[in-house]
Amino acid sequence: MPPTNLNDSDLDRLGLETPIGRIDRALKQLWEGDEAKTRASLINLAIYTEDNCQLMADNELLDHVAAQHACRALLILALPEAEQLRARAWIQALCRPYQGKQIVCSEQISFVLEGGNAAQVQNIVFAHLDSDLPLVVWWQADLSKNFEERLYSRIDTLIIDSSRWADPVRQFDALLVAMHAETGGFDVRDLAWTRSHFMRTALATCFQDPTACHNLDKLKNIRITHLKGQRTTALLLAVWINQRLKASLSVELIEKDSGPALQGLVLEGDGVRGEVRRECDSCFVRVSSTCGENTREDLLPADKDSDAELVSEMLSRFHGSTLYSSLLPFVHSILK
Amino acid sequence: MPELENPFQETLLSRHRAEPCSVVIFGATGDLTHRKLIPAIYNIAAAGDLPPQFKVVGFARRDKTDEGFRGELEEGNRKNSRQGHNDELWKSFSQCIHYHRSEFEDLEGYKSLGRLLDQFDAERGSPANRLFYLAAAPEAFKPILEMIRAAGLNEGVNGKWARVVCEKPFGKDLATAQGLNAVVAATFAEKDTYRIDHYLGKETAQNIMVLRFANSIFEPNWNSRYIDHVQITCAENLGMEGGRGGYYDTAGALRDMVQNHLLQLVSLVAMEPPTDLSADSVRDEKVKVIRALRPLVGAEAVGKNVVRAQYTAGSVGGVPRVGYRQEDRVNPESTTEPYVALRLMIDTWRWQGVPFYIRVGKQLPKKATEISVHFKKPPQVPFATSAMLNNSENTLVIRIQPDEGIALRILCKQPGQAMSIQQVKMDFRYSSSFGKASPEAYERLLLDAMAGDATLFARRDEVENAWKFIDQIENAWHKSDTPPTMHEYPAGSWGPKEADDLLRADGREWRML
Repeated sequence: MPPTNLNDSDLDRLGLETPIGRIDRALKQLWEGDEAKTRASLINLAIYTEDNCQLMADNELLDHVAAQHACRALLILALPEAEQLRARAWIQALCRPYQGKQIVCSEQISFVLEGGNAAQVQNIVFAHLDSDLPLVVWWQADLSKNFEERLYSRIDTLIIDSSRWADPVRQFDALLVAMHAETGGFDVRDLAWTRSHFMRTALATCFQDPTACHNLDKLKNIRITHLKGQRTTALLLAVWINQRLKASLSVELIEKDSGPALQGLVLEGDGVRGEVRRECDSCFVRVSSTCGENTREDLLPADKDSDAELVSEMLSRFHGSTLYSSLLPFVHSILK
Repeated sequence: MPELENPFQETLLSRHRAEPCSVVIFGATGDLTHRKLIPAIYNIAAAGDLPPQFKVVGFARRDKTDEGFRGELEEGNRKNSRQGHNDELWKSFSQCIHYHRSEFEDLEGYKSLGRLLDQFDAERGSPANRLFYLAAAPEAFKPILEMIRAAGLNEGVNGKWARVVCEKPFGKDLATAQGLNAVVAATFAEKDTYRIDHYLGKETAQNIMVLRFANSIFEPNWNSRYIDHVQITCAENLGMEGGRGGYYDTAGALRDMVQNHLLQLVSLVAMEPPTDLSADSVRDEKVKVIRALRPLVGAEAVGKNVVRAQYTAGSVGGVPRVGYRQEDRVNPESTTEPYVALRLMIDTWRWQGVPFYIRVGKQLPKKATEISVHFKKPPQVPFATSAMLNNSENTLVIRIQPDEGIALRILCKQPGQAMSIQQVKMDFRYSSSFGKASPEAYERLLLDAMAGDATLFARRDEVENAWKFIDQIENAWHKSDTPPTMHEYPAGSWGPKEADDLLRADGREWRML
């Protein structure tokens, strides 16, 4: 996409344009003389995109995430197809009031890299990290271009959203290769997987009852209602259910044109049924389970669906998990 | 029906899961239930951590309906819930709340409570666990526990557990604590007894162990070779507002704060590394610290190491305050101390010769609880001429409340030609680094009690050993022929001059908060 799609008023929202070689000095000046502000940082959080339409949305997302997770934020728009080689940078402070008096701020550095290659991206990222803090990268582009070994060998946590991939088979291929590479010791967090967390929690509640638990082997099929474009999200959920049950229940996916990403989940079998239902605009899910003549209902919280909320939630659950990795081969084979 | 693992539950949680249960709150119409317990349970529900088919039964003397009780609690929740109040969630959540009217001494009331709990079990289709929360006045603990036992409610049904949570104060001296422990022990096994100390539910208190044992830079220096002394301050800028004087005047700062909260903090700072994080491993190490406190035998030893005081009229934050003896519901001739400062010695290899100075008081200039670890000064050889080294020790400060965090004071060279040394502070604040608010202490502790994790609750021997130590001081104050003096300090000051002298005699001073 041509870089000319970015207009100046959008770019102004990225903060103060700064020559790349003067970023550190400019950041220092940002804090000088303002003792009311506290700079805080727990991680380096980088977003990498190759879609210039995404830049402003990502800029807002970082503002939202930094309010919950103090970080050094790096926003990188790479346009490798651009003919002219050009790199621009902006800096800004993402500040929020705390208890009405203290202002806590994260720093954000935004880059637009036209005509750049993998080496340029790496140089830019590595040169502007807050030292000694983990590097979390949300890679929004395909994993096939600038995503190469020297870059991912430095990443601690890689965030992806497999539901956005146009060609998930190829992307999962690339992901598995990177994960199994000698230097690929990063954790993977897939927003498509995070998106189903509330459904998984609700389902666990559904079958917490000993009677329901005893009837799990009678379950026969899974029905998931999802928003158009969230098929991978639904598939990951279905694979997880079958893996937990050590079974091969039949899976039916129902696609809707509007509403939340995941809207309903039904597990059914002889005399046993569990249902999790999320209504539009509700921040809760209704959970019901039926065993024979007994039915019980619960109301549980549902995570918000926005990317910002998901990333924020995901960063809050920062403990390592091998569960997602164990699901990947199954999802990969279904997609194939 | 044999218990089966829920396969969906596994892998979802990084902590113990609360097990399905009914919670019975004794003293359910009291302030604690409205301000702390129900908002805590509501917030657990809002986080999705409440076990399914959960029930709360309020047990109290006044006549109420379920609906009336829920209405009162809703009002309290609107005011006190950490995450705000959501009508939709409250509507669903409140259906799990019930009210049961009975006198605490009426066995019939407990039998009918048992029938109500059985009815809940029947609705669930399976028996559930039972958690009895004693939020009533301490004098009611004994009859409540005896009646629970007489009604057979202390035994779990069909392999389920029955547990009891006891609010402080747990006794008023060693004899009453032992008596209470005997009554509890006759009703519940120690493993099912959870003595709550809400300080241990606070994020920073839990962080003390992480700070010490997960960071390799601190533990090697955490001993008498490198640490000069430790200070713990718990300051309150309030007095006896809201009728609190009635209870407080029978307790005092030593019993109300030092015996439980502050000695718990001392144990966390001074304990040896536990072999694992199981409740008993951690509590084994904590109780060793309490046992190793050097005894203060006789009025003379107490007089040398403990300062007690009452505040006189003054002002806090520009607001005039009356003296302690003029406070509402306080005996005008009271000999109760709203302020106490102590010098404790812990007779272990690690802490030989390292004093722990503790102070707690009302009507001090600000509200703050913090621990400061003062390291020994360097040998000074390279900087022998620098005047700045007079006050040069490194200090690690652990702020418990408010503004939870950790600060480290170090020395740096001041920019310039001269070798001038300046103190600087590296400061970590939970609020700056973590946007999310920490759960309330009661949320964490209630979940732990439902999940069977007693790590953050006091064990019988901890409580009794703490009382044994405290009784020495109380006896010197109230039973000696030559009791140490009750000192005075004006409200709004940092305590009596004699508390400053306690440290000055050792060549030290209280840290400015």
